[in-house]
Amino acid sequence: MKKNLQWKVLFTLAVIIGAVILATPPGEKIRLGLDLKGGIHLQLQVVTDDSINIETDQEIARMEELFKKNGITFEKMSKDGLGRFSASGLLADQEGKTRDLLDQYAGDWDYTFAGDRVILTLKPLVAQFLRDQAVEQAQETIRNRVDALGVAEPLIQRQGADKIVVELPGVDDPERVKELIKVTAVLEWKLVLAGPAPDEETLLQPYGGQVPEDAEVLRGDPKRGQSGYYLLKRVSIVTGKDLRTVRRTTDEWNNPAVSFSLNAEGGARFEQVTGENIGKQIAIVLDGRVQLAPVVEDRILRTSGGVIRGRYTPEEADDLVIVLKAGALPAGIRYLEERTIGATLGADSIRQGLVAGIVAVLAVMTFMVFFYRLSGLNAVTALVLNVVILFGALAYFKAALTLPGIAGIILAIGMSVDANVLIFERIKEENALGKGVLSSITLGFQRAFSAIFDSNLTTIISAIFLFQFGTGPIRGYAVTLIISLVANMFTAVFVSHLIFDLTVKKTAKTLSI
Amino acid sequence: MQLFKTPNIPFLKYKYVALALTGAIILAGILNIAVFDGLKLGVDFGEGILLRVVFKDPMAIDDVRQQLSDIGLGKSTIQESGEEGREYQIRTVQTGTAGETDDEQIEAHQALADAIIDALRKEEDAAKAGQGLRDLNTIDERSLTALLSSSFPGSGPEAAQRIISYRRTNGIITAFEVLSGLGLEPALVESLEKETYLGSLAVLSRETVGPQAGKTLRRKAVQATVWALIGMLIYIAVRFKLEYGVAAIFTLAQDVLITMSIYSFTDREINLPIIAAVLTIVGFSINDTIVIFDRVRENLKVRRREPLEQVMNLSLNQTLGRTLITSGTLLLTVGALYFFGGEVINDFAFVMLVGTVEGVYSTIALSCPVVLFWQRIFKPKNSRNR
Repeated sequence: MKKNLQWKVLFTLAVIIGAVILATPPGEKIRLGLDLKGGIHLQLQVVTDDSINIETDQEIARMEELFKKNGITFEKMSKDGLGRFSASGLLADQEGKTRDLLDQYAGDWDYTFAGDRVILTLKPLVAQFLRDQAVEQAQETIRNRVDALGVAEPLIQRQGADKIVVELPGVDDPERVKELIKVTAVLEWKLVLAGPAPDEETLLQPYGGQVPEDAEVLRGDPKRGQSGYYLLKRVSIVTGKDLRTVRRTTDEWNNPAVSFSLNAEGGARFEQVTGENIGKQIAIVLDGRVQLAPVVEDRILRTSGGVIRGRYTPEEADDLVIVLKAGALPAGIRYLEERTIGATLGADSIRQGLVAGIVAVLAVMTFMVFFYRLSGLNAVTALVLNVVILFGALAYFKAALTLPGIAGIILAIGMSVDANVLIFERIKEENALGKGVLSSITLGFQRAFSAIFDSNLTTIISAIFLFQFGTGPIRGYAVTLIISLVANMFTAVFVSHLIFDLTVKKTAKTLSI
Repeated sequence: MQLFKTPNIPFLKYKYVALALTGAIILAGILNIAVFDGLKLGVDFGEGILLRVVFKDPMAIDDVRQQLSDIGLGKSTIQESGEEGREYQIRTVQTGTAGETDDEQIEAHQALADAIIDALRKEEDAAKAGQGLRDLNTIDERSLTALLSSSFPGSGPEAAQRIISYRRTNGIITAFEVLSGLGLEPALVESLEKETYLGSLAVLSRETVGPQAGKTLRRKAVQATVWALIGMLIYIAVRFKLEYGVAAIFTLAQDVLITMSIYSFTDREINLPIIAAVLTIVGFSINDTIVIFDRVRENLKVRRREPLEQVMNLSLNQTLGRTLITSGTLLLTVGALYFFGGEVINDFAFVMLVGTVEGVYSTIALSCPVVLFWQRIFKPKNSRNR
């Protein structure tokens, strides 16, 4: 055997063995896409406007305080729009002072004076940063929540400016997951001034039909058996941020409940407020809905924490713990796309894909061997190698195999013989022109190469764009196509030539082709 | 073995016939698409909801349609899949109200799906659910485990797992007797019969895409197609000559248009995999075209005195064997996909099937003539320029 032939053989063996090791056992090493495994695919959008609004509210509160502290007279501050607010009723001779104050403390805001008003607008760069941060935080929060669910291999991916894609393989309870992800999970404890009342009018009767300045009206959560209206103090006693631990527990009647303890600051506030309000109600509010409003029976010590009993089912109690632990979402989210694929459908698809694949492989093999005889066997070997390398590469890149991906493999099988056909037809032609067997083979490979190279590369180019712009299953398709085309250049040209070199004798007069 | 001795078919003699035929198909397709709304956008592009369900007992397609008509959704597309008359695919498009946000529209679609599912369920299901029984055909694994563990702490979890895994493979549990075959203890099956019922329907999949996400997907599909075409044009123009690149793109445009024209005459909908299929066809067709151009390029080096048309005809004939063999093997694999690949991939396979046949035609009939026309128009005097 010639020396460089030995190296070629070694190299080929190394590639094959490498691919086989990477891909065994295929059941574990090849990641299946959602369409084959079953599960939930959600695309959601973070309402980043929320974070701008929150920032504006906080800035208004901060500025009111600052203006008062620095003796700047103003009538009132009001939110005018997204990322915009204004203070009105300013005195003309205080403009300079106001400017100094704003320059010093409101660096994130642009301001303009108009008559007795100063209008503040959030700087675009800052707004952009806030939006970005909101999406990032939302992604993090969702990841924490999903992790707590114990889903294997979840995919939580940011897409574009404000979108997040969540893929949960094997989850069979879509409603629960959707709820779990979407809930903002802002938890607050607030003092109850009045309620529950069947409607707002009855509730506000003692207050002359007006909501008092420092109060707000919130509804009960029907899911918790709360149907009435409550009048609550606007300021929260403690919020979810003050929670130190949250645990799933059962109450004294063995019903599911959630116990919590508070951090030092929150505990102190809780102890003080409960001590001052014995006999009154404190409402536990989740995302603006009153969950329950127990009566304070005694001062709750800062260290003792408490229990939330909301007529929960065991699952609901679990989920509440999950969302409270993961923290609140920084902004609301909207669903843009929802797909639930049952595991049965995926299994069906795999089975049918497998059948189609086997039929395709057998048909192509039979055809090639029938048509090209021994050389056809050579092509079949190259084809099998191509598929082996493809699976090795899929395992290596951890690319998911999707249903279109299976179609991609089957097509790749059809295409991978194309290179062999090109070469074999060329060898036949050269042979017909009276060239010897060996030189026909060499010439056949040489002359067919440019066509093989050009055609494979153009298809790779289009597959790359498919990958770039495609989503989910389509990406899987593009990946299998690209890999198998690259592998094709190796198996159909390099390996196939090697097999001829190894098997065709120098003295051969005819070639089985 | 040889398919045939190098033939000598005067392909290029028929170039005007081919052009007329191509034009006719495309015109019919465009008419059908523009006037008769022939191309239907699928769920991927923000249109309605796609639901796949399996019934416990076989159900006639007319019954399914009747149930849907009763709730005013008689216009839904209903397709039977599987052989036992138990699996159905239901597509409903609800025209959205203006000003609805994505969230609202998705909610509306989900509500629609719920309504369909409710309508298809038998009344006895509701009665049993009303008695506090759980539906064994929809219950999730966690709840089932909890249910079984309370009375069978030892064997409960494993039994739950077996039941769920059986349901996953088969889609739906048709009778309690089936469970006995899973090796569960009789007492456990008995208690299941008391505490659960077998719902008449299970949902295999439900998909809905909001208008905004649909718009994004549509944009991306167009982007992918356009950029892929531009990429290929540039590559071919660099490797060959500009007119060959132009010809290749003409051929591709024809591939896309003819395939879509034919597609528009079927009941099938356009979804993302269809775009992928079309692009693949384009890839195959360009393979064929390149092989021929490659041959023309090679022949031109030796046959300097012959007119281009003659060289092209020779090249077409020389590569004909390869073109037919390759397309033949491709047809074998695509055929396998079409006949055995299953319901979900069937539209994709259909496009591939049409495209493979059409690709051969477009390569032989159109690619070379375009180069000829181009040279006649732009380089009439310099006939030696190839």
